[in-house]
Amino acid sequence: MIYLDNAATTKPDTECLKAAEKYLNEEFYNPSALYRDGYRISKELSSARENIVSLLASPQHFDLIFTSCGTEADNQAIFCGGRRGNIVTTFGEHSAVFSAVNELRQRGTEVRFAALNSDGSVNEENLLKLIDDKTSLVSVIHVNNETGAVNDVAKLAASVKSKNKFTLFHSDGVQAFGKIPFRLTRDIDLYSVSAHKIGGMKGCGALIKRKNLILKPYIYGGGQESGLRSGTENVFGIKLFEYASIKRYNNISDNYEKVLFNRNLLIKNLNKSLFTKISGANSSPYILSVYAEGVRGETILHEADDRGLIIGTGSACSSNEKKRYSRVILACGLSENAAGGVLRLSLSPETEQSDVLAAAEMLNEIVGNRKNMMA
Amino acid sequence: MEKVIIVRYSEIHLKGKNRGYFERVFGINMEKTLKGLKHEIRRQSGRYLIENFDVECIDDILSRLKKVFGIHSMSVALKVNSDMESIFVAAKDVCNKTGTFKVVTHRADKTFYLNSMQISAQIGGRLLAYNNNLSVDVHSPQFEINLDVRENGTTLVFNEFIKGAGGMPVGTSGKGLLLISGGIDSPVAGHMLAKRGMSVDCIHFHSYPYTNLQARDKVISLAKVLSGFSCGTKLHIVSVTRIQEEIHKKCNGEYMVTLLRRFMFAIAEKIAERCGAQCLITGESLGQVASQTIEGITSSNSVVNSLPVLRPLCGFDKEEIIERSRSMGAFEISIQPYEDCCTVFLPRHPVIKPTMKSILEEEAKLDVQTLISESLSTLEIVSL
Repeated sequence: MIYLDNAATTKPDTECLKAAEKYLNEEFYNPSALYRDGYRISKELSSARENIVSLLASPQHFDLIFTSCGTEADNQAIFCGGRRGNIVTTFGEHSAVFSAVNELRQRGTEVRFAALNSDGSVNEENLLKLIDDKTSLVSVIHVNNETGAVNDVAKLAASVKSKNKFTLFHSDGVQAFGKIPFRLTRDIDLYSVSAHKIGGMKGCGALIKRKNLILKPYIYGGGQESGLRSGTENVFGIKLFEYASIKRYNNISDNYEKVLFNRNLLIKNLNKSLFTKISGANSSPYILSVYAEGVRGETILHEADDRGLIIGTGSACSSNEKKRYSRVILACGLSENAAGGVLRLSLSPETEQSDVLAAAEMLNEIVGNRKNMMA
Repeated sequence: MEKVIIVRYSEIHLKGKNRGYFERVFGINMEKTLKGLKHEIRRQSGRYLIENFDVECIDDILSRLKKVFGIHSMSVALKVNSDMESIFVAAKDVCNKTGTFKVVTHRADKTFYLNSMQISAQIGGRLLAYNNNLSVDVHSPQFEINLDVRENGTTLVFNEFIKGAGGMPVGTSGKGLLLISGGIDSPVAGHMLAKRGMSVDCIHFHSYPYTNLQARDKVISLAKVLSGFSCGTKLHIVSVTRIQEEIHKKCNGEYMVTLLRRFMFAIAEKIAERCGAQCLITGESLGQVASQTIEGITSSNSVVNSLPVLRPLCGFDKEEIIERSRSMGAFEISIQPYEDCCTVFLPRHPVIKPTMKSILEEEAKLDVQTLISESLSTLEIVSL
């Protein structure tokens, strides 16, 4: 089986799983408890928090709230950061942000969407035009989860702050964390990350926030996570997240080079007459988005699945036309015919050369046959 | 006081010498429906009594029985000894706190020392004396208290008639094979014939990989809703991918649906023969879509040689169908947005009034028999 859907989720890292396993068994105590064992666990969580933050920012300036997933982190940022004036975001956001801002819009907040470039990155000029003195929050995805386009969030955050220094800047970093070498600047107030995209487990994420930023809680209760996210912490998930993050960051440059090489190999071996690349020059090597015009992405997905290749797609066989095509892909300016054939091939450091070569060959064959049939 | 459920059947009482057969099937269907719940079913002159169940399961039992065709109405009753004191205590128990009422007595036990009028009068009088907020209105009471004095020395006391599903017991009108698509109409068509006593198996055509597994699961869920009416246990799933590809490749695209439906009917007839079904059932409604014009129906009908094709929805409007779909509990599943046939193959302008001559000309471009046997080889049977 060849797995090229690592942007959806990754296989948990076996080594890290083993190291974290004791937090499921013997170290099961509640970190909020007052006895020695509970307190020890709470210290373990503190160190996890600091270790993860220090991978991409200075722990002096940033701290971290553990959440149940990247979506929750995004929701906390949007609902707790964007309460007055207007919110500016992009058409390229993950649904975790897109649906959250639409909910705020329903509740009466003005939401403005910036246009995308054809590779899925945000049009910077358009974004900055939308910001005024009433903008409370700007949210821009760091790496677009469908096309892999990288937004220069440090630069965007600086530009936003120069237009309105009171505006909060949030970025969804789920597809960037542990993959793209990057440090948080102090212009970025909030940054969401997720564990299961880098070898951790599902059900664990975090919102990294500027230290002196005062945020309201999103979930109320027993006051865990400095009162910002109540609920007994997922200790095992968090420790696995910590180990997996450290492992990824220790090899981040080597991984980047390896994945870049394999991604380029994949591009080279996909038949140009069958596939058109959507991902631009400045995109994450971990995600390659292409389309096969006239062939349904989902049909390719099923056929590849039957042959042992797992890929992602940007469309679904939905009888609801609005749900049939990805809104992000359409926002990149693609026609519906092209958008119907979008495939997302996402790699991980575990992806080998032989995998991408076999995948390219298989996809060429599947799409070639389908095109003949549909001709 | 023991609680029992009285079940009254609908049309069976019109039956003559074969009434026993209908009653037997009806009883079996109720048993099947209540499987897993503690209960006893007893037949008692033209009605059934359900006894010895756990009182907390009463809602579950009633909601299951509401899906059994053949039931006219049900009542939850208190069963007491046929003496006036016990009857009064039970009547007091089922009586509302306020309002106008009347007592209706059926006296099957003709040896009982009071006649039905006297029983009604005495119990009504005692209820009035017991509760000042009650008054009698024999013409249009707000509620009725029913007393059923049985021959075996017991009386059933109840105040409510719960409407049943009506119709005939499933299994008494043969077996049909329903072409089920995943839309709103076909489950309703199956439901309607099941109501007339037909046991219904289903056949579904898919075009994986052009459609997905969610669409298939949707159809399985719909077939399960139907089988909840104890009317069928099997779903046959057949792939028509090759057929669609061949039509797409070789024939005029406008005839895609017309030709595909002819294949579906031909395959369904073969499956019907295998599973012992005596007819095909479809959810076609005249004029609803391009393939459901009288010309379209003629085209698909003409490939079925030996079986009738029943189309119970033919004269229904969409709204009527939706209403029935809701009431049978299928609507929410039917509107899930999974395609049962990929739009890649659907023509922008399907032929609306095809002539047999043109259809046969298009069909002649295909190797029909090979395609049908290829399709049949993909048959999967899902037990529901």
